[in-house]
Amino acid sequence: MASSMAASRPPLQRRVRALQLATVGVALAVWETAVRAGWIDPLFVPAPSAVGAALGTMGDTALVALGETLSKTAIAYVLSVALGLAAGLVVGSVRLLREVLNPFVMALYSLPKILVLPWIVLLLGYGTAPAIFYGTIHGLFPVTVLVMGAVRDVDRTLVTVARAYGATTWQLYWKVLLPAIVPSVVAGMRLGIVFCLLGVLVVEMFAGVRGMGYVMSSFANGFRAPELFAATALVSAASIAIVLVLDHVNERLSHWRG
Amino acid sequence: MTVLAVRAGLLLVVLGLWETVGRASNPLLAVPPSAVLPALRDLLLLRSYPDLPANVLLTLREIAAAYALAVVAGLACGFALGFHWLIGRAWGPMLAALYAVPAVVWYPSLMLFFGLDAASKIAFGFLLGFFPVTLAVLAGIRQVNPHLVTVARAYGAGSLTVFVRVMVPAMLFTLVGGLRTALALAVVGVIVGEVLGSKRGMGALINHAYGLLRTADYVALVLVTLALVVGSDVVASLVERRARRWNE
Repeated sequence: MASSMAASRPPLQRRVRALQLATVGVALAVWETAVRAGWIDPLFVPAPSAVGAALGTMGDTALVALGETLSKTAIAYVLSVALGLAAGLVVGSVRLLREVLNPFVMALYSLPKILVLPWIVLLLGYGTAPAIFYGTIHGLFPVTVLVMGAVRDVDRTLVTVARAYGATTWQLYWKVLLPAIVPSVVAGMRLGIVFCLLGVLVVEMFAGVRGMGYVMSSFANGFRAPELFAATALVSAASIAIVLVLDHVNERLSHWRG
Repeated sequence: MTVLAVRAGLLLVVLGLWETVGRASNPLLAVPPSAVLPALRDLLLLRSYPDLPANVLLTLREIAAAYALAVVAGLACGFALGFHWLIGRAWGPMLAALYAVPAVVWYPSLMLFFGLDAASKIAFGFLLGFFPVTLAVLAGIRQVNPHLVTVARAYGAGSLTVFVRVMVPAMLFTLVGGLRTALALAVVGVIVGEVLGSKRGMGALINHAYGLLRTADYVALVLVTLALVVGSDVVASLVERRARRWNE
């Protein structure tokens, strides 16, 4: 059984890869032909070749904008993971706090934050500060909610035993609770990064003067479709790459935890 | 009981703080609750925005269209991926990779393609709602106990019977959860789309009030929009509960 599994795996893997490559290839080919044949207006949907050319001409400007967006995202991300972890640990481990605050946290998590964006922009103005602030509140809640749940579900006996052996509160958090919730923290971190990037991009589109969100909405307003598609592809590729790296780290971490 | 009391107390403290801070600061930036209530009254009596009902209706129609499209396409795509194992293995990860992209990336292209009117909002709400439905179908199919299918087939059930009598009931739980998430996301998508650029709808009114620094009206409009959001979720949760009870 094991040997037949091993033998059948490479061809299966290869067929899956082949189908994936074929899908992308066929999609690009159909898209290119459709534009060239005039079935789609290139004013709205440019051919892949035009998008590729635009990617080449944009070059540095796009990379600078992407760098700005990603550095705002990084700051927002660090803030939201740190604050979310702290809030989740405290609220999750104190029963009264958890019972009182849980509905509020869930409400803030699920309500569309875009509604407070105009107010944030009124308070903080245009530029970097509102992007970081909004990105942080976007990433904060998934981390908080996951950590809260994980702390609540930590095996009670672990806590009781640690207490019985005279662990201080500090030790209880550092040596018992924190290691027990690592998988949820990592899951929250994976969710959080996409939320942070989303928040930063939304602010850049709504009230930006720089960054990828601003660049993309000005391409859209200027009907520069090839550049817009190229920018979209660049941001998508960056975010997929970031998530893949986090997934990889996650996998390594779970190997290490055994 | 004490928990409820503490919750109410906390809410009062927050409102009190908001009131004191709001009165002390610039009225263009902060609106105390005591100023929101008159604005809300004016809004609901159609004094400040006489065209409120038309805009509410438009937003609701956009949400309905986006959600309907997302459910149909998500179910179709989910079942196609779930039943054809090679396609599922190949396209599943590609779909998951696309899901890792913050969806707002697609919005400028949708706006370019569909214009500033309802179509671009519907398309964006559809995009957000589509993934949870597809992923819920895939997860649901994985949950179906294969023995049940085998037994049903052994007793002579046809493909359609197996699907309706065995698979759908077994995956209903997951599916309904996905459909509820999809509604919430379709709502968010339509509202985000409207705020980022539109001429009509709740988001356009919010932008109008914000642009003219009519902050009290802005807060009142946000409260009305929140009522739409919460209302749609309450309806969805009632439907969800009904479906679960029927399943048991």
